[in-house]
This record gives sequence, C-alpha cells and structure tokens, in this order.
Amino acid sequence: MVTLQHYLILSAVLFSIGLLGVLTRRHAVIVLIGIEIMLNAANLNLIAFWRFGPHLENFEGLLFTLFSIAVAAAEASVGLALVIAVYRHFKTPDVEKMNTLRE
Amino acid sequence: MNAAFLILSLLAVAGALLAIRLHNLVHATLSLMFFFVALAGLFVLLMAEFIAAVQILVYVGAVGILILFAIMLTPHVTGENHGRLCSRGWIWGLAGAGAVFLILIAPVLLMAGLDTPPATAALSPSVREIGLVLMTPYGIALLVMALLLTAALVGAVVAASPPARDKDEPKP
Repeated sequence: MVTLQHYLILSAVLFSIGLLGVLTRRHAVIVLIGIEIMLNAANLNLIAFWRFGPHLENFEGLLFTLFSIAVAAAEASVGLALVIAVYRHFKTPDVEKMNTLRE
Repeated sequence: MNAAFLILSLLAVAGALLAIRLHNLVHATLSLMFFFVALAGLFVLLMAEFIAAVQILVYVGAVGILILFAIMLTPHVTGENHGRLCSRGWIWGLAGAGAVFLILIAPVLLMAGLDTPPATAALSPSVREIGLVLMTPYGIALLVMALLLTAALVGAVVAASPPARDKDEPKP
C-alpha cells in the first residue's frame, strides 16, 4: 500500500538531487536542469497532497500544479535566454568564471 | 508496496541522478526528459491523468526540446566537458543538499507514527470538470498566466537576441 509518506520521501529525494546539481555543477545549463528537477519534485508533492487529502472534488492540487507547470515553462524559456546572453558576454558557460561582481 | 510506484520512483531517481552527473550535456538533457516521463507515470498513479498529459506536452515536448536546441545552437556549449565536473566548493554543496534533505525528511518520518488518512475513493476528474473549475473560480489567474507567458516569450526573445550594433560606430 503506497501512502502519502512514500510520495513525500520520493519528492524529498528528488528535490535534494536537484539541489545537489544546482550547488555542485559548474555548467550553467546543468544548473538550470537542477532547477527543473526541483520544480518537478514540488509538483509531485502538490499532487500527492491533493490525492491523499479530504477534498478531491475541488481540484485544488491539480490546478495549483497546472499553474506551477506554466510558471516553470516561462522560467525555463527566460532562464535559457539568460544563459545564452551570459554565455555571449563571458564566452564560457562555467558559472565559476562569472564573478565580475565580486572583483 | 505497489510495484508500479517502486519501478517508476526508481526510474525517476535514476533519471534525475544521471541528469546532474553526466558529462555530456545532450545526454544529460535526454535523461532529464526520461525523468519527466517517469514523473508523468507517477502522476497517472495519483489519478491526475490530465496533469500527466500536460507534463508530457510541456516538459518533454517543449522544455526538453528547448534545452536541446539551446545546447545545439550554441557553439562550444555542446559536447564532452573534459575539465572538472564539479565546482570548487562541491563538498559544501553536498553538505548543503544533505542538510536540506534531512530537514525535508524529518517531518515525514515524525509523521509516520500517526495514522494517516487513507486515500479517498477513486475519482477520476474529467477534462470537462477541470476546465469548468479553471474557468469559473480561477479565471483571473488564468488570464494572469496568459499575460505571464506572453511577457516570458517577449523577454526570452529580447534577452537571447544579440546586442544591436550602434550605427555610428565605425566598422572594424
């Protein structure tokens, strides 16, 4: 029997994997991929809470996830555009070399 | 435990791990799309078939292909990365991710002792019902979302286009 806890644990594992990718990788696109993984883990959480909650007929979790997916799509397009613009400026996709503000 | 849940969650974790650990960017993006498909399967298990279809359409069809195109159209971004994989302070990144994981997992494990509400009876929402709910109470949010997507489209085009050359500037 799969309960809410299993989904919460899975979602926590996926979120941590995404965070690990964001924090440890040097490539800007991989950082973006990590952010996408984190957003999807949060969506899984929302759907699981809706499924195991008391009021399924209101579709709150479903609609929240729908809006979240739309925001994530907008975020992905703008994020990739920013990565391309930053790459054009610094001539490298390495986020460790983008330290102009620090110097 | 349900076998389908076990298989799909293992596939999702494997896809996510491969997506952040692979050297080749194209392979990483492909495993990210694999992760999206596994997550769509989990949504089907949770009786959210419409969200699963949206997940396939938006993530696998649009976001994955967008990332692939951005990688392939940008020179020197694609291909094997022979340098170091991780950043300099990767051990701190690992520690931070582990700490966040522990914080996230602690309430779940503490809640395990309590009796959890069983899943209510099966209810498969039809697309018509979702559309009606989306139109009546959430109409304003839907309009704002359309505005946001338009702004994101324009902003992405503006941000990604090369800076315009000044006309008075003498040509090199």
